[in-house]
Amino acid sequence: MLQQIMHEMFPTPNHDEEARQEFVNDFRMHLATKVCPGSVPAYFKRVMPAFVKEHGREPKDRHEIRRAMTRDPFYQMWSAMQRSSQEMVWDSVIDSVERQLPDLIAKAAVLNGKGSLTLDPELEIPKYHTAFDIHLQPGAYHTDVVQNDLAAGAVYDRGSFIYAMGGLGEHNDGMGRITRNFFRTRFPGRKLERVLDLGCTIGGSVCFWSQQEPETEFHAIDVGAPCLRYGHARARAIGAGIHFSQQNAEALNFPDASFDLVMSHIVLHETSRTALQNIFNECYRVLKPGGVMLHLDLQQRWGQSPLDAFLGEWEIYNNNEHFYGQLKEIDCGEVAVNAGFDKAKFGIHHVSTTWQDDQTPYGESSFQLPIYLAEK
Amino acid sequence: MATDAKKPIKLPRTAKGKKPVYFDPVTDKLLSMIMTLMGELSVVRDRLDTVERLAEKAKVFKIDDIENYEIPDEVNAVRMERRAAYIARVLKTVQDELDSLQQDDGADGAAKK
Ligand SMILES: C[S@@+](CC[C@H](N)C(=O)[O-])C[C@H]1O[C@@H](n2cnc3c(N)ncnc32)[C@H](O)[C@@H]1O
Repeated sequence: MLQQIMHEMFPTPNHDEEARQEFVNDFRMHLATKVCPGSVPAYFKRVMPAFVKEHGREPKDRHEIRRAMTRDPFYQMWSAMQRSSQEMVWDSVIDSVERQLPDLIAKAAVLNGKGSLTLDPELEIPKYHTAFDIHLQPGAYHTDVVQNDLAAGAVYDRGSFIYAMGGLGEHNDGMGRITRNFFRTRFPGRKLERVLDLGCTIGGSVCFWSQQEPETEFHAIDVGAPCLRYGHARARAIGAGIHFSQQNAEALNFPDASFDLVMSHIVLHETSRTALQNIFNECYRVLKPGGVMLHLDLQQRWGQSPLDAFLGEWEIYNNNEHFYGQLKEIDCGEVAVNAGFDKAKFGIHHVSTTWQDDQTPYGESSFQLPIYLAEK
Repeated sequence: MATDAKKPIKLPRTAKGKKPVYFDPVTDKLLSMIMTLMGELSVVRDRLDTVERLAEKAKVFKIDDIENYEIPDEVNAVRMERRAAYIARVLKTVQDELDSLQQDDGADGAAKK
């Protein structure tokens, strides 16, 4: 697997933990490249013909395909292995975090540097986070087990890297690279005094931004305290200055018109329909006139055919990404207009994930992510 | 949430939410177990590789010595025994069924007499 750059807060695996993590990576790579593609011939060679024989027509949508495919032995096998591999990602990382947690907490306590951390123990964790653990990270982003816990953040730092099979880059900041590159191509000279990153988790993306834009004041919020504690310490460890605070993006503490740019990286699909509108409303409120709202998220299109749509939905049903399916059907332009943005100043742009050639399995230009962009 | 220095920390290990059924709950678990075993075997193999390389570096033996090792008869006998026990252990669940079938037979036979 691509080597992840270590920093002082990194939950460094020991020999066997690393071997286990490497195995999970290689296993998932095998599933992705050698096993998963077999779903296509399984569909065309037997699932679809059997369906046609029974119904006298082809399946009309992804739901019909799902009902047929989830009974196909090849698809069942791939899907079951994919699910287990996802559980193994987290398990392989939790071992090393659990073992080192007291040390990591002690290190975090003495790290000096720029930036700040403000927690709100009274903050209510949204239901869409407590009902189930998104992408199967046990305890999700918010669960505290010990005092000054930062385990969820440490687990996310390593786990998300393995999950993406290195696709987020050696600093786990690939998405920040994508948004910054996009923003600076579109608004080359735009002055940024204050920038807000919503749902920052451990600040992977916003740290990259702050390193590129040293004059700018960066704020980053999330609901998950252990992620923020880790993110704050991690930012200090890599010399980035970020003001982290525990807030709900649906109801921010910041005054009106206080930011030049409000952004998020793969957060929207982990919320809810109501939350999405609330978040857009808050973006509008805290932006200065002329300020920019920018959300990078997962592919919203269902694909060209019902089969594409079905192949794109696995995470929704098997990886606790429940809202992702609904988000695909929401018109984000309408949400932006409801929030107060001018329809003419809203757009959906597609960015390719080739932020670093040859280093990401998502490196083909066909793999594109949407950016929802609006100017106030 | 007080941190008790003596008590080992236990982080959550099970993700909240309904787990889909792929084949049936038992087969799904068996498959997970096989994949975990695959992983653990890979871990052991990596560790052994480290041991071999360190041994060569420390001039204990050369990795080639392993390839060229001629297995003495008595070592072979020990290994055969260990392999047989290993196979029986892994296939115990199959053997159990066979054993109970035979036990039923015996019981039936006894009753008939
Ligand atoms: C997939 S992670 C985002 C990764 C991160 N932005 C990065 O660039 O590395 C999703 C994050 O969104 C946060 N989140 C979801 N809903 C939120 C809300 N309403 N307010 C604040 N944070 C939220 C979650 O707690 C989680 O940390």
